[in-house]
Amino acid sequence: MTLRTTTIALAAAALSLIGTTGAMHAKDVSIKVWAGGTGPTADYRIEAIKMAADLLSREASVRGEELKITVTGQAWSTWDDFKQAVTLAAESGTAPNIIVSGHEDIGPWSKSGLLRPIENYVDFDAWPLNQLYPNLIKVATFDGQVWGIPQDSESRPFFFSRKHMAEIGYSEADLEALPAKVEKGEYTLYTMLDDVKKMQDKGVVEKGKGFLPRPVNGTDYWQFYLSFGGEMVDAKTGKILLDRQALTDMYQFFVDAVAKGVVSKTHLGSTWDTWHPAVATDKVGTFHGGTWQKSEWETKWGMKDFFGQVQATLIPAGNKRGKANTITHPLVYLLSKSGSEDDAAVAAELIAIASEPRINALHAVKSGHLAIGTAEASVPLYANDRWVRVATERLLPHASAIPNNAEFGVFWKAMYKGLESSWTGTTSVADAVKAVESDVKAALGDAIVIR
Amino acid sequence: MRPKTSLLGLAMLVPALAMLVAFFVLPAVLTGVFAFTNMSTSTGISGGAYVVTGNLVKTLDERGIARPLLPKIGRTSYVVDAAGLAAAKAAGLDDRLVGDLDGRLKGRSFTDARDLEREIKALPSRPSSVRDLKRAVAVFERSILNNRFASAGEAERAIVALVPDAAPADVAAVVKASYTGWVWTTENFSGLASKADTWRILGNTVFYVVLTLSFNVGVGLLLALTTFYLPKRAGGFFSAVWLLPRITPVVLYTVMWKWFTWDGGFLYTVAESLGLPAFNYMKGSIPSAWTVVILVNGFIGASFGMILFTGALRAIPVQQLWASEVDGASRWQQIRRIILPQMRWPILFVTSYQTLSLLSSYEQIWLTTAGGPGNTTTVWAYEAFSVALNNYTGNLQYGLGAAMALILVVVGLTLSLTYLRLFRFGDLVSRPRIEF
Repeated sequence: MTLRTTTIALAAAALSLIGTTGAMHAKDVSIKVWAGGTGPTADYRIEAIKMAADLLSREASVRGEELKITVTGQAWSTWDDFKQAVTLAAESGTAPNIIVSGHEDIGPWSKSGLLRPIENYVDFDAWPLNQLYPNLIKVATFDGQVWGIPQDSESRPFFFSRKHMAEIGYSEADLEALPAKVEKGEYTLYTMLDDVKKMQDKGVVEKGKGFLPRPVNGTDYWQFYLSFGGEMVDAKTGKILLDRQALTDMYQFFVDAVAKGVVSKTHLGSTWDTWHPAVATDKVGTFHGGTWQKSEWETKWGMKDFFGQVQATLIPAGNKRGKANTITHPLVYLLSKSGSEDDAAVAAELIAIASEPRINALHAVKSGHLAIGTAEASVPLYANDRWVRVATERLLPHASAIPNNAEFGVFWKAMYKGLESSWTGTTSVADAVKAVESDVKAALGDAIVIR
Repeated sequence: MRPKTSLLGLAMLVPALAMLVAFFVLPAVLTGVFAFTNMSTSTGISGGAYVVTGNLVKTLDERGIARPLLPKIGRTSYVVDAAGLAAAKAAGLDDRLVGDLDGRLKGRSFTDARDLEREIKALPSRPSSVRDLKRAVAVFERSILNNRFASAGEAERAIVALVPDAAPADVAAVVKASYTGWVWTTENFSGLASKADTWRILGNTVFYVVLTLSFNVGVGLLLALTTFYLPKRAGGFFSAVWLLPRITPVVLYTVMWKWFTWDGGFLYTVAESLGLPAFNYMKGSIPSAWTVVILVNGFIGASFGMILFTGALRAIPVQQLWASEVDGASRWQQIRRIILPQMRWPILFVTSYQTLSLLSSYEQIWLTTAGGPGNTTTVWAYEAFSVALNNYTGNLQYGLGAAMALILVVVGLTLSLTYLRLFRFGDLVSRPRIEF
């Protein structure tokens, strides 16, 4: 064999080797991400997955593999359209690989086989999942399996207009002491009604704008159920719990608020587009919202000085039975049944990487959400943000979450319907509570405890 | 030759028949079928699987079903034994890893997958990827908890393999209870009958249909008559203007209504400058919300009635009107004695057609008041839609929604038959008494 032929043979062998190794490792994966309830400030729910895809490809390339990941994302600003889209897409076999939704969807979606339990795809003992808050992992757990990875957390404060409170005689010191008074149950929802009535009587706040609750259905309304001593789950049996007294008191509170004239009879079902400008431009006495809304008010509705304009507290207790509270409603990254096992494995790795403290801190600070793990709390971007610090320290320790239960949606729907009909005066409070009771009893039978 | 012609005729009918079946018959049949199931988001539509979960075991235990079996199937376990190692080899796990497992972990058992994972990660030949680690753990699993089995037989075999001495009746009971899919039921109907809300929504629906229908037919008739007596050109112009609500795309049409009635909208601004109560009329009060709902739908329906009535009016021999004028009849007498009696058929048609379409229409309500304020303007069709397909909690109850839709179909059919009798449709289509 001459030198020349040897060279050619070697070159050919080398080429074929490169060819085969290339063919062995080059892998194209497309991952589809859908996120619900996601406005422009929460774009990192999807961006984080794209960043993770970049990191994962680089990691693969360091290992000598070629991995090309294409991430396509779609965000829905509302929940009803999003949940409808996910459910129907799943039925027709076109669900996205990664779903960003509320943890309460785990119940029905896991039962219907829409989801893959993420614990079968990720290592909770490895970074960055090993530093996630255990209570958030618990929120993503249903029926003994971890189905999702927490994407964010938040809390839902009660806000007081500093200016209007001052106008009815609250001093700066009183306002600073308010969060503690609320927490101890000394300042209740009914004290609040009296205060906003004073504001209206004094003419500093327009009639019917003293107290402006959330205009549409939401997790928030469960907070008022808790304020009056309600519990969502029966501690003994783990079943959903309907506390008749708490529900009655909660409905009565809103009916009383209407009777006092501090909120309109037809407030429920009004729009965010009238609610946001009213609260952001200080036309309202008190209101309740979510930590994430601060960034919306600032970027979209022209709020200039958040800390100078409002004081944030827990949702006050309603009576002696209840206590001050807030609800955290963590969103979770869920892994759908769609695609091959390989796709699912890649999607799960992306979710794990997206939980990197630095990446998640981008979402938390940009959108006003709270950290998902201990390490994130010390990421400078997060640690230096005053609002997330306040929310983490003042509110989060008192936060509870709505239960993961395949049937909780039925109770929720009935609760809100009862609230609507008693609030608008269509039915009496007692009848509304009775209707809820008969609704849930008919739909859930012995899966709900009624007290 | 005849049979061939019939065949050709049939062949020409086929596309129309296929469309009819696909878009009219099939949906109605499926609605009928769904109505007798408990299909929902959590049961899925396409059928379920058999899954024994921790919660299921707890529930069965509470009910006292299959008690001796429950503790044995209610826990997870991972056993590193000969069978598991053989399975590991068969699954293509790395030989060195299998060797390490054999040498260091054989005979150990774990109740938590993560404990075994930690042990495997401590081996010298630990898998390099999470995926391989999970695969290594999976082969040693000796439990059925949280496994989805596609069929009852598969689930049964798995239980028996795990607990060979289980009583067959207990196994069957567990398998039956572990089904996640939908089942046949009539509870949708009994549930609806017992709910107070049902009657309120029914009341809303009757209120909405009767008022909107009266508006549709009344205004449609009025428009047809007034444009009939107008000079032709002016009449044509007015008819065209009244057609706008019908030909405008519904989303655009409702957005225009929002501009008209919303906070800061046209009515609001006018009312404010006149010192009248200015608020969001669409959602701000119950009477104004109903007014908006009825007008939004009424304007669309009125133009429909107008077109049909105008056509029917033009078909009335104009000589009859001339003759009546010679006799000194007033406009009202013309309408009362000549026009209306000859309009019975179009009025019947518009009334029955509009009743049915109003009963099943919800899109304008959805796009304007969304059933609010509260749920005061929620009608039956809208409720069925939101129960089955669109609500905040994402808890879609297809079965219940279909039951509500089925009731609507039955009501619609009954009403159609009643209308036919009421307007003596038989007389209209009976053979003429004079022979031509």
